[in-house]
Amino acid sequence: MENQPGELNFSADCFFNPNWDNSIDQNDPFESGLSSIVSSPTASYTGGGFLGSGDSLMMRELVGRLGSICNSGEVSHSNNNSTNTSCYSTPLSSPPKSNHFSSNMENKFRGGNLQFSGNRLPYHPSLPTLNADPGFVERAAKYSCFGSRNLGEFIGQSGPNQSELPCKSVPKLEFSRVPSCQSMKVAGFRAVNQENKSGPFGRKLSKISRPPSPENAKLRNSREGSSVSEQNPSGQIGLKAQNEANPRKRKPIPNGKGKEIPCPSPAKDEEVDEVNAKRSKSDEDPNNEIVKGSSGKKGNAKTTGEDDQEQKKEVSKAPEPPKDYIHVRARRGQATDSHSIAERVRREKISERMKFLQDLVPGCSKVTGKAVVLDEIINYVQSLQRQVEFLSMKLATGNSRMDFNLEALLSHDISQSGGSMPQTIYKLDSTAQALSYSFHEAQKMQPLPNGISNSTLAPVSIDPLNAALLRSRSIQLPSTFNSSMPQVPMIWEDDLQTVAVQTGFVPNQTQSFHGQMKLQL
Amino acid sequence: MNPHPSSCSNGRSIRTRFARRFLRALKKIGSKGSSSRPSPRDISWRCRRVKIAADASMASAVGPRRVWSRTMLNMLRSRSHACLHASRLGNSRRPGADRHAVGKRKRLVLKRKLPNRLGLNQVNQLRRLVPGGEAMDLDILLDETAHYIKCLATQVKVMRSIVDYCSA
Repeated sequence: MENQPGELNFSADCFFNPNWDNSIDQNDPFESGLSSIVSSPTASYTGGGFLGSGDSLMMRELVGRLGSICNSGEVSHSNNNSTNTSCYSTPLSSPPKSNHFSSNMENKFRGGNLQFSGNRLPYHPSLPTLNADPGFVERAAKYSCFGSRNLGEFIGQSGPNQSELPCKSVPKLEFSRVPSCQSMKVAGFRAVNQENKSGPFGRKLSKISRPPSPENAKLRNSREGSSVSEQNPSGQIGLKAQNEANPRKRKPIPNGKGKEIPCPSPAKDEEVDEVNAKRSKSDEDPNNEIVKGSSGKKGNAKTTGEDDQEQKKEVSKAPEPPKDYIHVRARRGQATDSHSIAERVRREKISERMKFLQDLVPGCSKVTGKAVVLDEIINYVQSLQRQVEFLSMKLATGNSRMDFNLEALLSHDISQSGGSMPQTIYKLDSTAQALSYSFHEAQKMQPLPNGISNSTLAPVSIDPLNAALLRSRSIQLPSTFNSSMPQVPMIWEDDLQTVAVQTGFVPNQTQSFHGQMKLQL
Repeated sequence: MNPHPSSCSNGRSIRTRFARRFLRALKKIGSKGSSSRPSPRDISWRCRRVKIAADASMASAVGPRRVWSRTMLNMLRSRSHACLHASRLGNSRRPGADRHAVGKRKRLVLKRKLPNRLGLNQVNQLRRLVPGGEAMDLDILLDETAHYIKCLATQVKVMRSIVDYCSA
């Protein structure tokens, strides 16, 4: 599964390469053929109408066959032949360029087959006769699975799969690698179909990934055509994880509301993974959606009060270098304005960071609401700043004593004493609390024989102080800071153990000053 | 979002850097003052110096990576320059004086309380707290706040341990 995002990345990347035609020729001879073939039905289907029932049945059968083939590894040429021929002859024949492309496809398909394995193609003899219909199917499968450039890689990766039908192996590879790939493929068809109708499958894709280009438009149209032609079969197959391929399908919104913001393609693939996880439950989304992927951003699907939202907005980081644009998916019932979408993305970023801050600030996880959380954060920052001020004051007053101490401290490894402090001390008590605790500590120290003065720490020797600390640790902890306070005596103890303790009394002046400070605070 | 670095590794390095710089600064400050009983004015001067030293060492330990640390460094530098110029010109103006004046002016102005939608009041308050927060977008501001909180916490920890050690 880990390979999948990378491969899909490549495939998507290749697929949406602006130099699409060139790359396709080099990498995947099928793609151009597929696009041409798919585009041919577009002429018939641009209206968004459905296929004829007969055609849909054929398509359904074909796709079912394909799925069964991929699953079982069987090939039924004859059936495919018949269905394919009947299926695709009409669309292929309608546009004038279809003939050219069909022959082109044949050649490419053969070339592609050779590219794959070249040896076992039980399909192969039938292919030329089919007028590249199975090629169309395979291309459609590849198209949906984005198996364009990486087919070689796919094959290389799934070596054992090569033993099975190579020509059919193209979709099979993807399917075997990803259990849900088949569903994805069909889902892709269905998703594409859905765009054109506001029926049960309602979700529309404004667009998917790459930088806009003429190829994109072409692909979009072609995909639209293919989807429309295959909508029923996909429904027949009844795959529930339908919209998994949606984010990767590029589809113009019929009503033209969708906005294309080209996005880092790698993001899409991981998006698909997340989508797979999240979309299994819901099918329908009649509104336009724009998938947003941003490099380096992990997205969470956020449902802001909408009923059936599961789509995620952002995509996790991908290994490929980020592209310029970002794809955004609009949620159901929301505007597809580029401004509102960008705003929504920004809002999600902000809420994500707020959550992180909530974890950082102690006592913030329970509260809800932006204002309250922000209040807590502000209070915490203010208390930290006040603590710094107070500690610096303390350092300043005791500075006369500190010179030799500082020398000793500098010579020691400061990190050692610093590292002894528990890392988890984020729950810093407020200044008053600290003072009260130290006050208690000081009080505890009073009965010690050496007459320790009433300051925070004035130990004469380590042992009494440690004893005092140990004694005091279990008691007199402020209830609100139970988790954090025990760490404070630990600090003292560790520091005392690691550094040479200098005996001495706190000078009266500073002592009184400390006392005053404590009282005030 | 950019993955936040693990607090452990970053905190330790920031902590050690800050601790070293701060201790050096403290030594310098300590050596300046006389060990005999300092007057309250000296104490307040020293307090300010220590605080500046704490901020400066923290900001330099973080480095110019963060907006708030950059802002703080610029502020400290400009303040020190202003102080130098003031002392050269014989002006006894303190670096924080103008800030107080500004604050007083602000207090006289009546503030109309708007409905606090989206927590804008808090956001503005946060902007004032975090150095350099005025010019940031909200998401960057929250990022900087998180890092600032982390560094402040480290600062407090180190300073407290120093105080505890020095009081010992």
